[in-house]
Amino acid sequence: MFKKINLKGKTALVTGAGKGLGKACAIALAEAGAKVITISRTKSDLAKVDKIIKKTKGSSKSFVCDVTDLDSFKILLKKINNLDILVNNAGTNRPEHFTKVKRGNMEYLTNLNMKAVFNIAQLCAQKMVKAKNRIKIGGSIIHMSSQLGKVGCEGRNVYNMNKFGVEGLARGMACELAKYNIRVNTVCPTFVETPMVKAFFKNKKFKNKMLKNIPLGRIATESDVATAVAFLAADSSAMITGTSLVVDGGWTAQ
Amino acid sequence: MGLFLKDINLKGKTALVTGATKGLGRGAAIALAQVGANIIAVGRNISELKSLGKIIKKLNVKYTSFNCDVNDYKTIKNNITKLKKLDILINNAGTNIPEPFLKVKDSSLETLLNVNTKAVFNIAQLCANQIIKLNKKGGSIINISSIFGLVAGQDRTVYSMTKFGVEGLTKGMALDLAKYNIRVNSVCPNIVLTPRTKKYFANKKYNKYVKESTPLDKIATVSDVATSIAFLASEASSMITGTSIIIDGGWTAK
Repeated sequence: MFKKINLKGKTALVTGAGKGLGKACAIALAEAGAKVITISRTKSDLAKVDKIIKKTKGSSKSFVCDVTDLDSFKILLKKINNLDILVNNAGTNRPEHFTKVKRGNMEYLTNLNMKAVFNIAQLCAQKMVKAKNRIKIGGSIIHMSSQLGKVGCEGRNVYNMNKFGVEGLARGMACELAKYNIRVNTVCPTFVETPMVKAFFKNKKFKNKMLKNIPLGRIATESDVATAVAFLAADSSAMITGTSLVVDGGWTAQ
Repeated sequence: MGLFLKDINLKGKTALVTGATKGLGRGAAIALAQVGANIIAVGRNISELKSLGKIIKKLNVKYTSFNCDVNDYKTIKNNITKLKKLDILINNAGTNIPEPFLKVKDSSLETLLNVNTKAVFNIAQLCANQIIKLNKKGGSIINISSIFGLVAGQDRTVYSMTKFGVEGLTKGMALDLAKYNIRVNSVCPNIVLTPRTKKYFANKKYNKYVKESTPLDKIATVSDVATSIAFLASEASSMITGTSIIIDGGWTAK
């Protein structure tokens, strides 16, 4: 009856795998048995992740690549034989008040959080549908979204725009890729203990204000999010597509 | 638990499952037992409770059963307040009487509101109070909702009214119970083949409607839903509260 989270025999690609959530996802997927392909701009970060995966007796291969550099990503994909799972994670944030958002920042965020997310998803999906047994073995694409893909928040208007967009993309992709048995979902975490959030939380006033919005009274751990990603990657969630797993301690329930 | 991947493990936990003798309730009871939970089954049919007990006991966990109707508040209260251990509630008992809106019988409305709304509320309240009394570490409550808690369906006005209600209750409970670290979520399956829905699927037109409404082109299995329930019951989802896991093959993504 119960379907264990088991990714043995699967190959998973994780973008933004050098730090934070991407790193946690890569390690969690390896722990669930997947062969993991880690992508990041920073070689030394990738080396650390590979080392951890090796220690836990997992399998990984890393590629240094900027996800906004499509040509490099295409070349990289050619070097991979098979792909079953994509964790489309690379993304960032530059909080600014709406009236003060610099055009350069809007461009930068949108290029990374939307354009690259779309392009990477499309290229990976094209690769995934080529597998002759795809319908039988299925596939899973998980976009790293956010609770801010569901609700607004001060100083996050560009990020809101990007992540709401990712929520829309996931639903559209789910409808189109269903016939290949490729499922597409998002994970929507609240603030997570990552290097990015640690920087925001140096502002104590902001931290306390944000914590007040989380009924469970704590921020998420990387492990909370990575486990949700592994659940969506595995056949444990074989009927789940076009939806979001909200890991927010109740933030958006209010 | 791995470095980042959390186990779905309920060893030492006690779960109460309503409507446990058939369909989703039975599946949930077995799945939770498979990952180590002791089971308290509530159902109306003694012989079915006994046969469920045989299966559960084989999984080396404890099994108790209450032969009672979820509408019988006095008996339910009496049973729940006497419990010595309780960590998890699977608030599953529910029913449906499909009728076109203009022809809904008063008695059907009464039955659905009693079972799907009032009994769901009462049992959730009784169990929440008991979990708080017994267990300082918190717990997890899973309300069995439906895609018709999110969208409408033909001849499902009353069912949708009750299941939209369950979605609201889930979010409200999540807020009120967060300070006790009791998480509250729902699962929203599309139409699962169970003893109750078997008669719907006998109708060719209905079959076609379900098929055409589900991008993944298959119906959810009891195992699909039970696995999500086990995930929500366990610490693997410790930051997930006030939300729903939608197990609908993309039905509501369209």
